[in-house]
Amino acid sequence: MYEKDGEKYFVLDGHTHFWDASPANWKPGAEEYAKGWIECFHAYMGLGPPETHWTLEHFQKYSVDDFEKDVFEDGHVDMAILQSTYLKEWYRNGFNDIEQNASILDRFPGKLILNGRWDPREGEAGLRQLEADHAKYGFKGVKLYTAEWHNGSRGWKLTDPEAVPFLDMCADLGIKNIHVHKGPTIWPLDKDAFDVADVDHVATDYQSLNFIVEHCGIPRIEDFCYIATQERNVYAGIAVVVGAHMHARPKFFAKLMGELLFWVGEDKMLFGSDYAIWEPKWQVEGFVDWEMPDDEAFTDYPRLGVEGKKKIMGLNAAKLYGVEVPAEFQVAGTPADPTAAVGVEG
Amino acid sequence: MTLRAQVYEALGTVYDPELDEPITTLGFVGSCVVAKSDVSVRLRLPTPQCAPNFAFLMAADARAAVLTVAGVRSVSVVLEDHYTGEEINGAVNDGQRFADAFPGETAGDLRALRELFQRKALLARQSRLLASPATTLGELSGPDADRCRALRRALGIDASDDAPAFVTGDGTPVAASDVRFRRMASLTALSLDTNGGMCRDLLKTRYGEEVAA
Repeated sequence: MYEKDGEKYFVLDGHTHFWDASPANWKPGAEEYAKGWIECFHAYMGLGPPETHWTLEHFQKYSVDDFEKDVFEDGHVDMAILQSTYLKEWYRNGFNDIEQNASILDRFPGKLILNGRWDPREGEAGLRQLEADHAKYGFKGVKLYTAEWHNGSRGWKLTDPEAVPFLDMCADLGIKNIHVHKGPTIWPLDKDAFDVADVDHVATDYQSLNFIVEHCGIPRIEDFCYIATQERNVYAGIAVVVGAHMHARPKFFAKLMGELLFWVGEDKMLFGSDYAIWEPKWQVEGFVDWEMPDDEAFTDYPRLGVEGKKKIMGLNAAKLYGVEVPAEFQVAGTPADPTAAVGVEG
Repeated sequence: MTLRAQVYEALGTVYDPELDEPITTLGFVGSCVVAKSDVSVRLRLPTPQCAPNFAFLMAADARAAVLTVAGVRSVSVVLEDHYTGEEINGAVNDGQRFADAFPGETAGDLRALRELFQRKALLARQSRLLASPATTLGELSGPDADRCRALRRALGIDASDDAPAFVTGDGTPVAASDVRFRRMASLTALSLDTNGGMCRDLLKTRYGEEVAA
């Protein structure tokens, strides 16, 4: 819970990890990729305030006590979604596979939401695994990472025919929140790996599923915004928008927020810290304090008030995940119909 | 002008296709060494995992640009610290295609990708010219207008002085007052600027403060 100026915010951090990227977990033969990946993440941490930077060694592997302190004690977070990222071609036990994430569930009863994952290239075996993971953990969401390497393939798209049975299974099992994370590789390599057009197609085909596009499709936020106006069930995960910009480039942050508020709307934006890339504390505090600048360059953008901030910090995600939020955190009136939160006509 | 200065100037005509900025001002040229008439260029990117397709285009364009300089006998372009550096360097320096660098991993060449980003770049550039009352391209001037002309020519869109001042990404004439066009242009410009800023920050973190502006 975070309280500021008499207002209480229920903080549901939509994007956290409990990873192990220490050298002991680097896969023999793939050390250079494992090392490069975590060093790249560590560089992103450099975009946050200096006093929140960690050493690379600490960043590679942090403890459950660190998680507790950074997220729940200091970070103002009431509940956090743990996203699974496998990268098993680079990390022996995976970067943070579902078992690794699940290992801390018992420590924080009622405070963690565990998400699964799937990869269409795993075919029938992958479907059975998804079924088994769901039976074991009963998750309501998955995180999909399209740049994952698999048996010589360097990526996939949501519109690949192999993805259909997986999306069908999600619809059948009630795994309704599909977090999509685009990365630098995709098959074929000559296409734009960050293209989010595939989300548009599947969002139309699977109306019972919600598609949360992580970091708002950055570096393709323009395409993402355009899609989000067309599709009722497409949401913006604003991790990275906050972490990489609010401190490092506040003017850009204000413009990015302005565009998101205009095109996507405050009912369809979900806060995420992307811990451990960035700690939640400074992001929660900074976001609640943030105001759209008054100068002329920002006059075209909608304003974000206390109600909107409460929705983005937690109420929107709580709705998607069926989390009951005590009345003291609620905003007056019913949140607007997501279909109304559209800036311009398609 | 020394040969090295000419070579560096040629490298300044190579644009990051995704950001629409020269690789020299982005700090991507780590070094450029000219020994008599042999040129050696080292390129470096903000992350080891920057997309291989854009990395290939920049390396291949850099080689082609340097080879146009009179007096250059040979050029070697090395993309440093990149996870597909070996594949890219091998193919680029042999004058091969992207598909040769990544056999079996491509469906076509990079023309469509380049064109897609030229259209985005054109839209973004025009957002900086929207305050102008111009109705023809000839009435627009300055670096952004010049870049618009170059992009229009590359895309086969009329770039003559009498041509319409503003066009959508696919070349359809549009009024500067069109709200939808203005919104899309400024959103696209913000996206490119944001990505460029993030690339600069990450490059600085990776290689230190000596990185160019």
